[in-house]
Amino acid sequence: MNASSYAVRIGAQGRQLVSVDNFSVAANAITFLFGESGIGKSIIAKALYGLLNPAEFDIAINNQPYRDHLNDPWTRAVRHNSFFVFQEPSSHLNPLMKIKDQLREGSLVSTEHEQLILEQLWEKAPAETIRSITNLFPKPYRPSGGEKQRILLAMAFKKISAYTGKDAATGPALFVFDEPTGSLDNTYRNLFLTMLFNRFHEKKFTALIITHDYSIISEVYGSHRDLSPHVLYHELSRTGDATVAVNDFSPQSYLGWLSSITGAKQDATGGKPLLTIKPDFTIFNKKMRVCGDPVAKTPAPLIIGKGETVYLKAQSGVGKTTLAKIVMGLYKAQNFSMDFMDRIIDHTSPQEVWQQEIWGKKAGLVFQHADEALNLQATVQETFAGLPLRTPLTMQGLKQRLEELFEGEITDAFLSKKVAFLSGGQKQRLNLLRTLILDTSLIILDEPLNGLDFASIKKVLALLEKKRRQGASFLMISHNEEIFDAFVEKTKVYYLTAL
Amino acid sequence: MKARVTEHLLSFVLVALVLICALFILKSRQDTARTASLSGIRDYTSLSFMDYDDPFQRALLRDVMDIYFPGSHDRNDSLVTAALRYRQEAFNRSVQTSDMREELSAAKAVQLFGMYLKFLFVYVLVMAISWYGVQTLAVWRFVAERREPIPGRRVRQYFLRALSIGASLVLFSPAYVIAYSVRTEFNTDTLFFMVLLGVVSNGLLMTYANKFHAFLTAESRKGYVETALAKNLRNTWDTRTGISLAAIVRPLKRFDGHVFNHIFMNARVQYFSTIKEQASFLITGLIIIEMALNIHGHFSYEMLRQLLYGNYDIVIAIILGIFFTVKATEMAADYLAHKEWLKYENH
Amino acid sequence: MRTTEKLFAQLRTHKDTRWLTVWVAGLLCIVLWDLAFLNRPAFMKIIQGFWNTMAIAFLVTLCTLLFAWVATNLLHTLTMRTMRVPYLTLSFALNLLRSVPQIVGVLLFYVLVASLVQKGSLSSSAAIAPFMAVGMGLFIFLELTDLMRERIDHFRRLDFYNAMRVCGVQEKRIVNFDILWKNSRVHILNKLIAVFGMAVFLQCSVDFIISVGLSNNVNAVNLPSTLGSLLAKIDSKQDILALGYTLTHPSYAAHLPFTHLLGLTVAFLIVFTLLCMHHIANGFAERHRL
Repeated sequence: MNASSYAVRIGAQGRQLVSVDNFSVAANAITFLFGESGIGKSIIAKALYGLLNPAEFDIAINNQPYRDHLNDPWTRAVRHNSFFVFQEPSSHLNPLMKIKDQLREGSLVSTEHEQLILEQLWEKAPAETIRSITNLFPKPYRPSGGEKQRILLAMAFKKISAYTGKDAATGPALFVFDEPTGSLDNTYRNLFLTMLFNRFHEKKFTALIITHDYSIISEVYGSHRDLSPHVLYHELSRTGDATVAVNDFSPQSYLGWLSSITGAKQDATGGKPLLTIKPDFTIFNKKMRVCGDPVAKTPAPLIIGKGETVYLKAQSGVGKTTLAKIVMGLYKAQNFSMDFMDRIIDHTSPQEVWQQEIWGKKAGLVFQHADEALNLQATVQETFAGLPLRTPLTMQGLKQRLEELFEGEITDAFLSKKVAFLSGGQKQRLNLLRTLILDTSLIILDEPLNGLDFASIKKVLALLEKKRRQGASFLMISHNEEIFDAFVEKTKVYYLTAL
Repeated sequence: MKARVTEHLLSFVLVALVLICALFILKSRQDTARTASLSGIRDYTSLSFMDYDDPFQRALLRDVMDIYFPGSHDRNDSLVTAALRYRQEAFNRSVQTSDMREELSAAKAVQLFGMYLKFLFVYVLVMAISWYGVQTLAVWRFVAERREPIPGRRVRQYFLRALSIGASLVLFSPAYVIAYSVRTEFNTDTLFFMVLLGVVSNGLLMTYANKFHAFLTAESRKGYVETALAKNLRNTWDTRTGISLAAIVRPLKRFDGHVFNHIFMNARVQYFSTIKEQASFLITGLIIIEMALNIHGHFSYEMLRQLLYGNYDIVIAIILGIFFTVKATEMAADYLAHKEWLKYENH
Repeated sequence: MRTTEKLFAQLRTHKDTRWLTVWVAGLLCIVLWDLAFLNRPAFMKIIQGFWNTMAIAFLVTLCTLLFAWVATNLLHTLTMRTMRVPYLTLSFALNLLRSVPQIVGVLLFYVLVASLVQKGSLSSSAAIAPFMAVGMGLFIFLELTDLMRERIDHFRRLDFYNAMRVCGVQEKRIVNFDILWKNSRVHILNKLIAVFGMAVFLQCSVDFIISVGLSNNVNAVNLPSTLGSLLAKIDSKQDILALGYTLTHPSYAAHLPFTHLLGLTVAFLIVFTLLCMHHIANGFAERHRL
């Protein structure tokens, strides 16, 4: 089977999960596939690659039973020659096996190129550093998420090297990278792209990169423009309840939109700051500092005025989310102190202060993983029950609020739909709305654009801007620097560093 | 781990103290009760010169009492009647319970200790066998579920299915049902039979094999299995190219080069955390076996017997022994689980 | 027609429904067989014993749910309010209870029931049954408490719990509605099915032991008749012994379902119920991917 376009239908337990008629991966090209999370990108890619269990899913590819696809010589050759990098690196490494053993298992048994690949992925770190990492068992916090992600990428690069090397394997190959940069900061993301494109220069191969990170477009346009003819951009969008379609995505539409929001000014109302956080504090035995500039590391109190949006930047894993949780009283940090709405709160303040005065009343926090933050077994309507709203939310009022972020008219059926049955992007919007609906003065947003497609990103940013104009203040935490650098005024950017 | 050990030791000591106190309280209450029942008549229940069986001497005692305590005829009469009744009851009791009344003497303690050792021996043996049986059964079922059915062997499959339901009925039978079923044909009072019953009855093997199977199923859905598949590890389940029967029944199981190796090692670590629960289930099962089969000279049957005779001090001593076994198992299980986790910790 | 098809499809795919049907069908078959071949008084005894066993097991399940819910909420509240001493005391007491093998605990509780009955504090079966259920529940509820606490801990480790708290949702709502009701009721129900099976097993075992070993004490006590106590009766024991005889004299098998019906029915009801409960719980867990 080497069709250029696939009709894929996947169901489970009598329910259709996803159906697409025009899924295609161009041979000897790099295809970027965008689309909101949960729409079916990963499962379609896994089905094509031959990774799904036919006993658990009802799958048909080009109207043929899945077992035929699994036994097809094309699929067998692809599985033999290629590799699939899965998202969520933490759960895709065996916690009971040392990383070095996992790097040399099965078809990765050859150690050729391994050291070189690891050195490249670790920016030429000393061999000792790399050895100490590969000697570890993958645990939740050590190695870090970024390091685990690079281990999975190293596995893929080992297979790419084998495929493109002198004794190259023959037959088709399909290298799939599912959110390969989700746990990487921009430096490592760009490093990965450079390594991939360099190998692609040596010998063309077929790669599918599934991502939500639209800013990758700027990087490809900026640093690898020469390969533009071999790079394709697709977006998976919903056409029905469980049907999707692949459309070409114009990179220009993203680049154009980005330049249109650049330089948006904020009209702060002035007066006393809403929140002031002292720059130095210690958490988990780590000294942290908030700075006004990325280089000098001079301490600067983080100040948020009424109606202001502040952007907090830091390298991946430094502790941006941790700071958000400290502000919300979920973690206790030594020497921490903040002045929030004329009340001094520090590490000695009891949790009752947050419980009685702050949570849902003066401040709210949107967590980054909507799947974890929402009650998946509740209905859309129940998601908003129990919130401390000043005026009770009527059905009509709720529908109006939902329409601000969801396309089309909100029906009663949608309100009684289980959150678990929403797509990842819909869940993220619901997650945002649950906090935005509160009448709080401060809203902390941790990775608010997680899992959203381009259209939703634009909607969310428009809603945030509307709320800001109404007087709400925002503290933004996001690794999506390109978009937030453009969205937030330059003077309102802070940097968090570990000393 | 330190905190857990402290907690275990603390409860070890505390419960021992509570039970020993209960033992003393029981003894002193028995003494007090005896004293209370004698109050007022103590002086008249064992007069050395009296022959209580002689009606003449009994009448004489009443007369003597009237002379000593003149003007209290009714009181004297009831005192003598009470003393005589007490003696009669004491005699009846001693006749009825001559072979029942026992005290927790040193000799009894030694006898109990012997029974306790026998109980421990059976317990450890059953635990070891069921540990192996649970894993083997679960792995066999997990692998068998993934095997492609061989066409044309439907009758064989139905036969195997019926056989498996029959075996399940036996494995789920309470020990006493199995034991009484075969009592006429086999000697069910042997240690061998106890071990056999411990393993195959009361649903122990089925319950925990099913639990292990659930761990295997849950692990098989984890992300690292997908990575193993992407690495092209073996993923066939037949005996020739996939997983052989020898690999399944081997005591130290390994499935190198197969995706299942990842699944098995992760499920096995989780199984460590259920040892405590399984041990508790097993102890309950063994107690039921010993009690229901009325096997003389066994620890739990002894408890039942002493409970029946009202020798609560001995009952408490036996409960203390069982409690120590449970606690020692909990400590050992925590230690083993901790040691197993340490193997995979980054230091 | 469609409903029938749906039902058959459900029986094929849902192991729990299939085993529930097998259980009910099996019971009906036994009732019909016994009606035909067992004498009336023995039949009534079996019906009474089965009813009492199921009723007490059901009450045990209810008690377990109640005790576990109270203990979980209490422990959670003490943790969240950082009341260390009461928390440690309570969890220590619960751990002690856990260290008593269930059968020993239940047996001792039965001795207590027996003494209350002898004193006249408890007289009718209707009063004794709930009391027995409470006693059994006391030694089983910790398993459900552990499950409930595990579920709460699981959601506390995720962003779920804190994400709701920072939105101002009340803690008791998060624990009881969002975690226990919305996200754990399937787990709880599955555990309760297993608890029901366990209650049947413990009750039959204790009744059997008491009837065999403690008969002197308990004869005076009017404990409700259950499958366990019926099995211990001499007639039933003889019937079961016939099973062993059949192993060495297979030709005797034909007599079993006619001449040894009382003991065999009681033994089969116990084993069959335990097996079905196990499969129902497993099927339920598999269906809901627990």
